[in-house]
Amino acid sequence: MTNLATVPIERLGAPAPAGEPRRRWLSPAPDRVARPRQRPRIVYAAVAIGGIAVIALAQLLLSIGLSDGAYQISSLQSQQKDLARTNQALTEQLTAFSSPQNLVQNAQALGMVSNGNTVYLRLSDGAVLGSPTPASAANAPIAANQALVPNSLLQPEQVVAAPVPDASSAPQAAAPDPTVPWQGALPSPQTH
Amino acid sequence: MTSTTTRTTRGRVAIAVLLIVAVVSVFVVRLVDIQVVQAEGLNAASLASRSDSTVTLGTRGDIVDANGVVLATSILRYAIEADPSAVDEFERPAADGSGEVTITADQAIAELATAMGLDPAAITAILTADPSSRYALISKSVDVATYNAIRALDIPWLYYKADQSRSYPDGSVAGNLVGFVGEDGTALAGTELTQDTCLAGSDGSEITETGEDGVAIPGSTVTVTDAVDGGDVQLTINSDLQYFAQEALAQRVTEVGAESGTVVVTEAKTGKILTAAEYPTVDPNNIDATDPAYRGAKVFSDPFEPGSTFKSITAASLIDAGAATPDSQVLAPYEYTSGDAVIHDSFYHAPMRWTLTGVIEQSSNTGISMLSNNMSVDQRWDYMNRFHLGQKTEVGFVGEDSGDILPGDVSGPTQLDDQTIYNTTFGQGLTVTAVQMASAYQAIANNGVRMPVQLFEGCRHADGTVTDAPAASTGEQVISPQAAQDTVHMMESVATTGYAADAIKIPGYRVSAKTGTAEMSDGSGAYGGAYLTSMAGMAPSDDPQYVVSVTIRKPVTITSGLAAAPVFQKVLSQVLKTYRVQPSTVPAPELPTTY
Repeated sequence: MTNLATVPIERLGAPAPAGEPRRRWLSPAPDRVARPRQRPRIVYAAVAIGGIAVIALAQLLLSIGLSDGAYQISSLQSQQKDLARTNQALTEQLTAFSSPQNLVQNAQALGMVSNGNTVYLRLSDGAVLGSPTPASAANAPIAANQALVPNSLLQPEQVVAAPVPDASSAPQAAAPDPTVPWQGALPSPQTH
Repeated sequence: MTSTTTRTTRGRVAIAVLLIVAVVSVFVVRLVDIQVVQAEGLNAASLASRSDSTVTLGTRGDIVDANGVVLATSILRYAIEADPSAVDEFERPAADGSGEVTITADQAIAELATAMGLDPAAITAILTADPSSRYALISKSVDVATYNAIRALDIPWLYYKADQSRSYPDGSVAGNLVGFVGEDGTALAGTELTQDTCLAGSDGSEITETGEDGVAIPGSTVTVTDAVDGGDVQLTINSDLQYFAQEALAQRVTEVGAESGTVVVTEAKTGKILTAAEYPTVDPNNIDATDPAYRGAKVFSDPFEPGSTFKSITAASLIDAGAATPDSQVLAPYEYTSGDAVIHDSFYHAPMRWTLTGVIEQSSNTGISMLSNNMSVDQRWDYMNRFHLGQKTEVGFVGEDSGDILPGDVSGPTQLDDQTIYNTTFGQGLTVTAVQMASAYQAIANNGVRMPVQLFEGCRHADGTVTDAPAASTGEQVISPQAAQDTVHMMESVATTGYAADAIKIPGYRVSAKTGTAEMSDGSGAYGGAYLTSMAGMAPSDDPQYVVSVTIRKPVTITSGLAAAPVFQKVLSQVLKTYRVQPSTVPAPELPTTY
């Protein structure tokens, strides 16, 4: 026992009051090890659980977005179909309207006649080839006749009504007022 | 006591283990059965129960003219079907948005009838024919407007099916060339049939998984086969010109009490058919309105004896072979006898001192027959072959006829009787189609170079590539340029001094033409007193650009070339106007017609 007491205190550590040296030797080690071990455990758990929650939430939002998009696509597709149908119906109408039968019939209903008497002006010498005569229904090369070149897509009501010349407005139209109405300030002489 | 307890416990444990093993193996077996053995069938069944298979339509291509004017196109039509067993009253949101109104079955039928323009009784009859049935067809095909009107009625026992149909916006304009398809969409005639491989599309199919409400589950669409759209066929036809020709022809045909007629316009330098009109012509939108005999393209399929318009071809052959010149002289009698053959002219005259030009101008049968003695039958037969007569044209139109020239093989024609030998010099005893005739005149108009007849520009696919375009050709020199020009000038005398000159004059232009009045066979080998009058020619004569050939069959009030002349004049004027041809500047050479 005495032998033990004679062991120089310096060999065991820093000089300290009795009882203290034991604590100083032992306490630092567990302190250093325990702290790093405990802290990461909580962070990891929190990260893992939080990650799962975020993933679950993202998944949920994504699938909500997707299914919402599916309904939007579906509705837009049916809208597109409707528009395509309308487009087709209008195109059908347009092509039937632009058929030669329809154009010729309507032109004739409006009082237009095609001049069968072709006359040419030769630019090189100014010569008039052929004898110019006004167009008349009698000498039109062709007169539209639905029965001869039929088009069953055309309805009779598609022919416009011939315009009725308005007797009261005709003379006015024939003699327009030749004077041009003045616009702006009146010009005045610059005399001093 | 202790040992007994131990044994009992062990026995129980063994039984429990055995039971567990047995139960687990049952589950394992079942699991393997479902997951492995029956997996495929079960997967398919489950997919089928939640998926929806749809047909995606491959659109049939359009037929367009040279300028892109649509002559035939595909449109959607809707079949209206009903479930008669479900016909009952139903609720519909009220128009003013205040709750719902009840619509009775009769009310629904009345509304449907109004929308479709049908009699309600007719629809009731369809629905009550078999009230327990789940299917009844109300209409096979309604247009978009009607379909929208019906859908707006919101009738729960109606079903709709979209189907492709064909529409021909220009009606009977070029109806003979465009052709038509049957109700089931099979091509039946014309370009529709000739170019079916280009036009036809093929349907595809798609499988989509859907939710209970029919909305597709995103990303579940599987395309089983892709729908392929058909290509567009472009014709060389100018539809406006075609309309003009059809109208002019139809008016003349009805005016002279004729049976039918044709007009063919070709471009002299290229051989392209610009117009191939005929009357009567089918309106492909309404096929039933046309006599079945006139539903095809007679310009290709109906050969005829051309008559005097053929004399130009004989004259061109004679000049090219050096057997005659435009000035060759002949003393043409009214009646010419040689061997067994007896040839008459169409009008009585004293023996006339005509040149070959005079023979063409006066259309003398005896004159052309006598001048043809300078050339062997073999040689003439050879020329007909060079003009591609007796052969189908390069167009390859459905139902095309080759016509019938002197029978023979590569070594030459077979032995013919004297009458036929002479008849064939003026276009009797052989047949050609309207297109062949126009093609022969095209060769004469184009300095003797015959270009392949062309009706199709090619097939334009959805990706913009063009296939089946006819190979570029420099043509075939059928007769020498000099022989061709001489023939054109000889024909000019028909237009300046011939009997139809006044009817075919076009101010400012030099026109070459030849009249024809052929006797038509009555079908039993004899001539039946009916005529086919014709007029074929080109303009302007100094540099022919366009060829017009008109035939009118069995006219009653006028039986000479005068029946066809006004149509020729109108169509040719319109052609010259349409294509902005410069008026002639060089005066016509005056070839002597007599000596």
